[in-house]
Amino acid sequence: MRELSLNVMDVAQNSVRAEASLVTITVEESDKNDSLSISIEDNGCGMTEEQVSQVIDPFFTTRTTRKVGLGVPLFKLSAEQTGGSFEIRSKLGEGTVTTARYVKSHVDMTPLGDINSTVEILIRCNPQIDFVFTRTNDNGSFTLDTRELRAVLEGVSLDTPDVTEWIRQYLEEQTQILFGGA
Amino acid sequence: MNVKEFAERLDLKILVEDDLEREITDCYIGDLLSWVMGRAPENSAWLTVMGNINSIAVATLADVSCIVLTENAALDADAKAKAEAHGVNILTTEENSYKTAVKLSKLLGE
Repeated sequence: MRELSLNVMDVAQNSVRAEASLVTITVEESDKNDSLSISIEDNGCGMTEEQVSQVIDPFFTTRTTRKVGLGVPLFKLSAEQTGGSFEIRSKLGEGTVTTARYVKSHVDMTPLGDINSTVEILIRCNPQIDFVFTRTNDNGSFTLDTRELRAVLEGVSLDTPDVTEWIRQYLEEQTQILFGGA
Repeated sequence: MNVKEFAERLDLKILVEDDLEREITDCYIGDLLSWVMGRAPENSAWLTVMGNINSIAVATLADVSCIVLTENAALDADAKAKAEAHGVNILTTEENSYKTAVKLSKLLGE
């Protein structure tokens, strides 16, 4: 994919299909360590060891429309081609953690892209699911936790236009603060 | 023109041989697999430096006639096995994708 945020979208959608009620997306980058890691953790139905090896195999997919599924294999490739690593840990009935680690300065590093939009879209399209998004760099970190929003919103759905607009602005402001500027 | 004739005329080495009678009607160049997947025309010769297992999956999805690994780009052992299993022709050349495409263009215009 041209942007890693599209891979995040893809994997998070797998979490939605796995009937997760909570999806935690964490992006940690460090110039000091020349690293960027992305993890997507869910409490969905999980996978057996065999199923994990199948999702990594580009010639396998649970969808019947085509015989190859490339979302996860290409995510894995993107990490490995920077000298990074890729890992899926999953337990049936408990959930799945997908982690991709990158060497940031590698010439084949795919840009992260618009991760804030990805998070905002995921929340808007899945208002029944909770998302926790954390972004960390050498300066610090910020977190958006929809469980906290829900507590304040008292029954107002997360896909209400005013709420999604607030989420968008919050993510934009926090990103600006984190990456200098303010 | 079929794959066999293409290989002979441009002096390409055949790494994986499946249906060499398959026609080539177009050409596509690209190394970003997710990009190529939705764009490489059917029955094209796909010129790339990516010789991994995912490339084979993309080739079968896009239904290209053959993969040409340009600039002697390496073909992984497991990618070779998958290509044999799924019937993907793979050729290789020391020339780059541009030069190979220019020559192929002339052959396709004949």
